[in-house]
Amino acid sequence: MAIYVLRRVVTSIGLLFLSSVLIFVVLRLIPGDPTITKLGGGMTAVDPRAFQALRHQLGLDRSLTHQYLHWIGGIVRGDFGQSYFSQFPVTTLIKERAGSTLELAAAALFLGLLFAVPAAALGAIWRNRYFDAILSGFTAVGMSTPAFVNGLVLIVIFGVKLKLLPTQGYVSFENHPLESLKAVTLPAVTLAIAIAAPIMLILRSSLADVASAPYIRTAQGKGLLRYQVVLRHVLPNATIPALTMIGVIIGSLLGGSVIVEYVFARPGLGSLMVDAIYQRDYAVLQTLVLLAAGVFIISSLLIDLLYGVLDPRLRVQGREA
Amino acid sequence: MTQTSPSARAGEPVLDVRNLAVEFPYHAGTVRPVRGASFTVASRERLGLVGESGSGKSLTALSLMRLLPPPGRIAEGQVLMGGVDLAQLSERQMARVRGGRIALVGQDPMSSLNPVHSIGRQIVEAIRVHEDVSQRVARTRAIELLGQVGLPNPARRFDSYPHQFSGGMRQRVMIAIAISAGPEVLIADEPTTALDVTTQARIMDLLSSLVEEREMAVILITHDLGLAASFCDDIQVMYAGRIVERSRPGPLFSQPIHPYTEALLDAICRLDYDVSKPIAAIPGQPPLPQQLPSGCPFHTRCPHAFDRCSVEEPGAHVLPGGRMAECHLADERATAAA
Amino acid sequence: MTSTALSAEGITRRGRRGETVLRVLRRPTAALAAIVVFLIVAGAIAAPLIAPYPPSKFDYSHLFASPSWSHPFGTDELGRDLVTRVLYGGRTSLEMAALATVIAMVFGSIWGFVAAFKKGWLGEVLMRIADLTLGMPVILLGLVLVAAFGSSILSLVVILGILFSPATARLARSALLAELESDYYLAATSVGAPPWRIVFEQLLPNTMPVLLARGSIVAADAIFIEASLSFLGLGVQPPKASWGTLLHVGYADLYSSYWYPLFPGLIIVIAVLALNTLGDNLQRALDPSRR
Repeated sequence: MAIYVLRRVVTSIGLLFLSSVLIFVVLRLIPGDPTITKLGGGMTAVDPRAFQALRHQLGLDRSLTHQYLHWIGGIVRGDFGQSYFSQFPVTTLIKERAGSTLELAAAALFLGLLFAVPAAALGAIWRNRYFDAILSGFTAVGMSTPAFVNGLVLIVIFGVKLKLLPTQGYVSFENHPLESLKAVTLPAVTLAIAIAAPIMLILRSSLADVASAPYIRTAQGKGLLRYQVVLRHVLPNATIPALTMIGVIIGSLLGGSVIVEYVFARPGLGSLMVDAIYQRDYAVLQTLVLLAAGVFIISSLLIDLLYGVLDPRLRVQGREA
Repeated sequence: MTQTSPSARAGEPVLDVRNLAVEFPYHAGTVRPVRGASFTVASRERLGLVGESGSGKSLTALSLMRLLPPPGRIAEGQVLMGGVDLAQLSERQMARVRGGRIALVGQDPMSSLNPVHSIGRQIVEAIRVHEDVSQRVARTRAIELLGQVGLPNPARRFDSYPHQFSGGMRQRVMIAIAISAGPEVLIADEPTTALDVTTQARIMDLLSSLVEEREMAVILITHDLGLAASFCDDIQVMYAGRIVERSRPGPLFSQPIHPYTEALLDAICRLDYDVSKPIAAIPGQPPLPQQLPSGCPFHTRCPHAFDRCSVEEPGAHVLPGGRMAECHLADERATAAA
Repeated sequence: MTSTALSAEGITRRGRRGETVLRVLRRPTAALAAIVVFLIVAGAIAAPLIAPYPPSKFDYSHLFASPSWSHPFGTDELGRDLVTRVLYGGRTSLEMAALATVIAMVFGSIWGFVAAFKKGWLGEVLMRIADLTLGMPVILLGLVLVAAFGSSILSLVVILGILFSPATARLARSALLAELESDYYLAATSVGAPPWRIVFEQLLPNTMPVLLARGSIVAADAIFIEASLSFLGLGVQPPKASWGTLLHVGYADLYSSYWYPLFPGLIIVIAVLALNTLGDNLQRALDPSRR
């Protein structure tokens, strides 16, 4: 078991490094110097000396390898470099905005699970054809509706027509809890709908797999009522393979927050990323993407380890005859 | 049509199945894999239900427990236990009957236990469904049961997980679970099919002793005629959803009445068989429930079929010695056999 | 077995799959989805014929008009009819999705087939690369690639194609592996049938249906991601318009004219839903192990 953990950790670190190289290289592939954008003009309109000076300042005149090592060296020390556009170090930018994104992600995750898990469990308990059809319909529509359409509808209903909730901006929780909650509601619901659909899909499929297993008939044969069978036998066994859904959820949260932050004009890591792409701010961009990759790799690692803990077949080895 | 059991050892009738029919809808209509099965079982009696795959024997067992996979349902008939028709009970009421009065041991011990619960926990659950006892009392009882089904070191085994056990041990655990609430009827559906021969023998011995100790009735479902012969007091042969013959093992094997039973027995290869002769297989295939022949379902494969057989389905002919066969020629064949 | 007999088995399987497709279409949801897809594609192709107004007809007296009989979807910031813009935008969105799907299917299939044939280290490496992107949010990958390669139509189409190749590769590989392990393939190789014949007469036709079913879903995803990118302003660039860009512009005036982004948004949902449903039904019919 310990060897397994060690191996996975080493692989993860390796993957992280590989990702950093890939990200760095890919972003440098296209011609289009950030310097030019920053100086705000075409090549000809720029004073060559200012151009060189800026390049030197941003470290763009060094070789690619040098730039990469500089970046990586900085990361290990906790310094993510300097943004090309704002005056701030990337670390500051990220710290400023991380709170908003984390708040959004947490709220969306909570709402999404709150809706998806009981719905899937009820579907397994009732086994009603109409309810199942509704759930399938919701899943299908949910997976086909981009977050910006969800958001659009919610804004129109709650913001424009009913004027109940704010439709943009961010209020930090520490300062004004109530306002903060109000501001995060619509974005969180939008994102929650987007992640509830894949969660339900995976969970229902897992539940259906488990429900046809022979040990479920054993449980019924003991005289357990249906809800007892589902809660004690189906659900625990279904969530283990559905742990992969955590990976999907995190992926959806990462991707979805970019769109949702844009829709609701919420400052956060997602909108930071979009801005960075517009401005070709590689310093910010490469760090953000590496951060996203890191979150993803680490969560995969944690899921694997979690499997080991939850499934007794992996935990307790050995067979007795 | 009920049959009284002739076994000397048997006690009072505990289960009375009358004209049981099971129906499954499918896209082009409905099929009835079980089309009118009737039998009784008495306490301490061992009834065998034999037949090929598709004869309807497993579905009969499941319908007694009301555990038919949807969209199957009991279309007709009664399943009487103590005057109560199980087929008419609500789901809640039936849940009380399952495990408490009638229990099932299946054929797949490898996947019939919840992999994430310890086996002790699973037995305790079975006990506490039917009896309001404390966790500790239930645990003690469970350990006792594990000992009774022949597991060494039951106290230590209590916290083990199913994947740590072999198939034979898991089947013993299944039996422990099934008998834990003291049912009057135990249905064993191919309990030893997945096990090797020596384990098979031991499991059957275990069942024998449990039947005696607890005065349970056992319905053994199997495709293995030899197994049924050695264990059962009475054997019923199923074909195409009906019970076509019922008899004690001895007479069944020495003088089968129904041509299907006769053909089955002929098809058994014996060690002293003349290898130059072809194996006496039954020509054709058992019919699909959607494509039953007219009249007697076996007539297309029967060497003794005559014109009446393709027109009229034979009813149950009661024969001397507590035997029964559904064949137009039953009476003649019984007389010839005597 | 002669090669004719082998062909017979291969063909029977093909024939059975053809029947399966038709049988799928008898299910009401699948049939409805197919009809919707057909209508949308037909609408886009026939846009010049059926659009109520020419695409560049401005009407400065009716800017941001709300829906009316003369303009069922309203008008945009330049007074152009939105029904027309949705139809023409659909052409862009669907064209791009179609091209991206073709790229993803071809590239992904080759990738997967090679990985299936060369089971050694090459196959492993190829599959590892494909698995890297498993579960990662496609939109993030798309954003990185757009940041690197820009938003020209060409690069967008190629990016979309690349984004959906790994999943197709995985499918192609498992489909081909299933064929390679089948009895008729074993028989074909043992009688010495030439490899090209086997590939074209047996293997490809038998893996096609599964891949084509997948193609419908890839097309749905392509529309989805293109719309997302364009909505962020990082996809299709003006003066070209797609459904996503209509939403991008419409968002700016959401409070005053919310119908502007609403209709393109609904169309996107309908198109993606129909393609997903169709593909899903086809996949389920062709691969009985999926539920």
